[in-house]
Amino acid sequence: MASRKVGTPLFLVVLVCLVTLPAIAQSFRVQCPTSTITHPVAANNNSEPAYTGPGVNGAIKCQQISGGDGYATMGDGTQTFMFSFGPLSGLLDISQGLPGTQFPSVFNTVYSGAPLQPGDPATTLDASGPGSFTYNGAVGLIPDLDVGPTVIDGHVDPRQMMDVGVMNGNIPAPLMAIDEDDEFFLTLSNVGMIMRPDLFEQHTVHFHGYPNASAFYDGVPDASVAINIGGSFTYYYLAPDAGTYFWHCHITPPEHLQMGMVGQLYVRPRQNRVQVGNNLYTALQQQQSDPRTACNSAADILCSNPLPASNSVSRAATGGYAYNDGDGSTYYDVEYPLQIHGFDPNFHFVGMTFNPEGFADMKDKYFLLNGRSYPDTVTPGPLETMSADGKKHFSQPLPSIINIPAGKKALLRISDLDVTEYQTLASLGIPMNVIAINAKLLRDQAGNNLNYNTNSITLAGGESIDVILDASNTTKYPAGSVFYLYTPNLDHLSNDAENFGGLMTEVHIN
Amino acid sequence: MNLTTRKKAISITRLLLAPMVAVALLLTATAYGAAPGITGPTFNLTAQPAYITQPDGQMVYSWGYGCSGAPGGFAPKPGGANLANANCPSMQVPGPTLIVTEGQPVTVTLTNNLPTAAGNTSILFPGITLQPFTDGVLGLLTREAANGATVTYRFTAPSPGTRSYYSGTQGDLQVEMGLYGAIIVLPANVPASCDTGLSAANLAAEAHWGESDFRLAHAAYDHAKSCYDREYLFQFSEMDPLIHSQALAQVTARGNCTAGAVGCSLQVATEPYHPAYFMVNGRSMPDDMDPNYAFEYPHQPYNGNPHMHPGEQVLLRIIGQGRWQHPFHEHGNHVRILGRDGNLILSASDANSLAGPLLFTTTTTPGLAMDGIFYWTGKGLNWDAYGHNPASTDPLAQLPCTPDANGYNTGAPTAINYYEWCQDHNKPLQAAPFGDVAGGGPATLPDPNLFTNGAWYGGSPYLGPNATVRAVGPTGTTPPSGTIANPPTSEAGFAFMWHSHNEREITTNNAFPGGMLMMMLVDSREFVIDESN
Repeated sequence: MASRKVGTPLFLVVLVCLVTLPAIAQSFRVQCPTSTITHPVAANNNSEPAYTGPGVNGAIKCQQISGGDGYATMGDGTQTFMFSFGPLSGLLDISQGLPGTQFPSVFNTVYSGAPLQPGDPATTLDASGPGSFTYNGAVGLIPDLDVGPTVIDGHVDPRQMMDVGVMNGNIPAPLMAIDEDDEFFLTLSNVGMIMRPDLFEQHTVHFHGYPNASAFYDGVPDASVAINIGGSFTYYYLAPDAGTYFWHCHITPPEHLQMGMVGQLYVRPRQNRVQVGNNLYTALQQQQSDPRTACNSAADILCSNPLPASNSVSRAATGGYAYNDGDGSTYYDVEYPLQIHGFDPNFHFVGMTFNPEGFADMKDKYFLLNGRSYPDTVTPGPLETMSADGKKHFSQPLPSIINIPAGKKALLRISDLDVTEYQTLASLGIPMNVIAINAKLLRDQAGNNLNYNTNSITLAGGESIDVILDASNTTKYPAGSVFYLYTPNLDHLSNDAENFGGLMTEVHIN
Repeated sequence: MNLTTRKKAISITRLLLAPMVAVALLLTATAYGAAPGITGPTFNLTAQPAYITQPDGQMVYSWGYGCSGAPGGFAPKPGGANLANANCPSMQVPGPTLIVTEGQPVTVTLTNNLPTAAGNTSILFPGITLQPFTDGVLGLLTREAANGATVTYRFTAPSPGTRSYYSGTQGDLQVEMGLYGAIIVLPANVPASCDTGLSAANLAAEAHWGESDFRLAHAAYDHAKSCYDREYLFQFSEMDPLIHSQALAQVTARGNCTAGAVGCSLQVATEPYHPAYFMVNGRSMPDDMDPNYAFEYPHQPYNGNPHMHPGEQVLLRIIGQGRWQHPFHEHGNHVRILGRDGNLILSASDANSLAGPLLFTTTTTPGLAMDGIFYWTGKGLNWDAYGHNPASTDPLAQLPCTPDANGYNTGAPTAINYYEWCQDHNKPLQAAPFGDVAGGGPATLPDPNLFTNGAWYGGSPYLGPNATVRAVGPTGTTPPSGTIANPPTSEAGFAFMWHSHNEREITTNNAFPGGMLMMMLVDSREFVIDESN
């Protein structure tokens, strides 16, 4: 291979083309190496190891999504056309409201059984009941017969991918969750927009808020490359600092975001992997000894978790932490991703009917929490929508009902991708304790926590915030009580013409 | 683009470069920036009408502040000289950036040269205490200049930081028409530490590559945590063209009416409000990425075209000048907010520590100014952004990376990879070797025929011309017909979009792309960021 500098650059180009093209010439493909330079032992990469000190431990995580179109059901029953991402891995997990992010051992599992159907997993589950669909691997993955009868190297059968990937759009787009120190391989397969054959749109993934992002994997088509219809592009990142991020397509953002190409993404902290009973402050001190994981306020103005006051809080037996706090201040028992969005039905209608779209007068009429308006927000399980292919698809897999066990704490990972206006979410009942904004712990450079209580938070599209609802006072918040999260933007408590619904959900103390 | 400042480290084929330069000039790959303005301490301003241009070809009737006569001076003055074509026209949007120093006595005299029917005008300096005065005429919020007359405001420049100034007279109309600007107060006591250590090393690096120092000061505040290496000012505002056309029609109809006479006033409806232009420093994308003082925009001299090198601490001065909020999203990293409206935010327990939030979306709020620090280093990518290759015969591919206490290669300010994150040094990205870049990495790139390249794509995943040319040759993976604003042979920076995340605001009068959008370029040290030529 041309690993030496060649005299004339032009010659180099020719050489590069000759040598490298055949090796990578495939349209759809997935990537999920079982080991890498960073994670060299394949057997260790299928579970999260305990955090024991400096160095990159973590694991490998993979996910596949489709970029295409689909339909969703609004709170007033309207079937709405979307440009959208859908799951092409973790189908079962996604249908249960879980991240579609998988370890290599799961992702690289070849599907067996009756052929996957358009609309799956909804088609199979609806026909044969719970338990009839169990597959979480990469849709399309088959052995690469050119290499060997059992070789799994990312080679796919495009038919399976098209059968499942076409019209399987989700709002929000498939949930992603990784841990610090993970290497994350996200494959975007562009299956095309069947309802808009006039468009030859590329799609991308922008990992919104990633610190020290690379331009190449930032998903901005102007600054990088964007995958055409019929191809796959695999994004690669070492998980950034823990926090609530989110993701979206960055092609013609006013259009693709309004049309529904928005999703959720969070990174769990190393602190979750501290052995139960071990001191959290000591663990954060260990992180301070590696420049990659340290927060030295004297040298780095953009880090948010310097050591707090010395303390003896230890890793709890259950639950997790939102950040590497070193003092347990971001502890939660249960966590809920909540994404705020808005749909303008006129824009979606115009987008479905081949008409030119106006941007300046965009006006949202559906106000969404995880792609649903009240009362759909409190409907358990995935919402189904009949698409133009005559199949029911799980269009909105994520309920936004907040279930808190009595006496416990819930972490709300709130992000907003509305493209037209600011939205406010208020808590009627349990105060919101804001622990982080924009994926950064609220702590000053001297180590003082700056978290605060409030009854409402206001976000624009492009912002995220972490809120803890602390229900540990069982006198004030007894089992069986119901509270509300709703918007004081009162005109947003509606579903288009219905003067009821909108940006609202319920908090149940169980 | 000043090709003569390029270093010889880059091999160039002139045949290929010539059309690239032509295209790049059209697409404004030129690196201009800074936070330009005029210096006092005496400012003679005028408020008057003119037309400002938008990328859809519209000339929008506007009012703005400008200079009545030559200003006291211009800043910055890299190498002692003004920025090229520096001027202060009789009207500009935003108004002239007033640059003063903490403690300095400042005098601002405003002459009202607006059409008679527009009535009085004035300037508010929020957060600044004016000396008592009696000239001008009494208005609702401050003393005003009657038509054709003047009013003089005097104050002592307050605590350092960025602030807004804007009309205090019929603001719903006058601010919308363009009567707003920025005032930058420089610290009187820049900490000595801003001229030592990494700050000094960055100056040495700039000097090595022939770059000038474009800073207005070496710190944003009288505080060691506010030292910076480079700075940019972004003023966000929006325009409803209907308001402007109504104002023009009424001004024309009233003609030379007599001030105060019946009917000599404007009745422009400022609600309902339907803005269609969303601007950074008075320009919409892509005009905002053209140079400061470009002749195409005689009344919009300031641009939005940030560039920086890895590791540079970059001061962002951000102001909301319209009536709406705009979620300004900085791709690439977070911004540490230092202070708001000149109020430094410090820890309650330790005055040496900052306490402002870290944001990837800095919401602009009407009238509010923020100062924040941004940087980009590529730390933690887990692959070598410079595509170093120990097996290469190119010495630049074999540069060492010696980590300082924080993990960065800061010992060699003259190296291309100054401030490289050393833990990822020599770590390959791609599974297969590609050109003169090593393989063995985690990722496989798709067949180039399967993707579409962007105008700011440097041509490879790697940072800088040396790495990019080694990886993919001088044309990158962009077909020769591709339009390149970030050419592989000369810049090959990492481009990041900085834009309003109310995404409909990255449009110009309903056309995408446009509006509040600019590309920020992180350039390797080979690329000379020249903000002056």
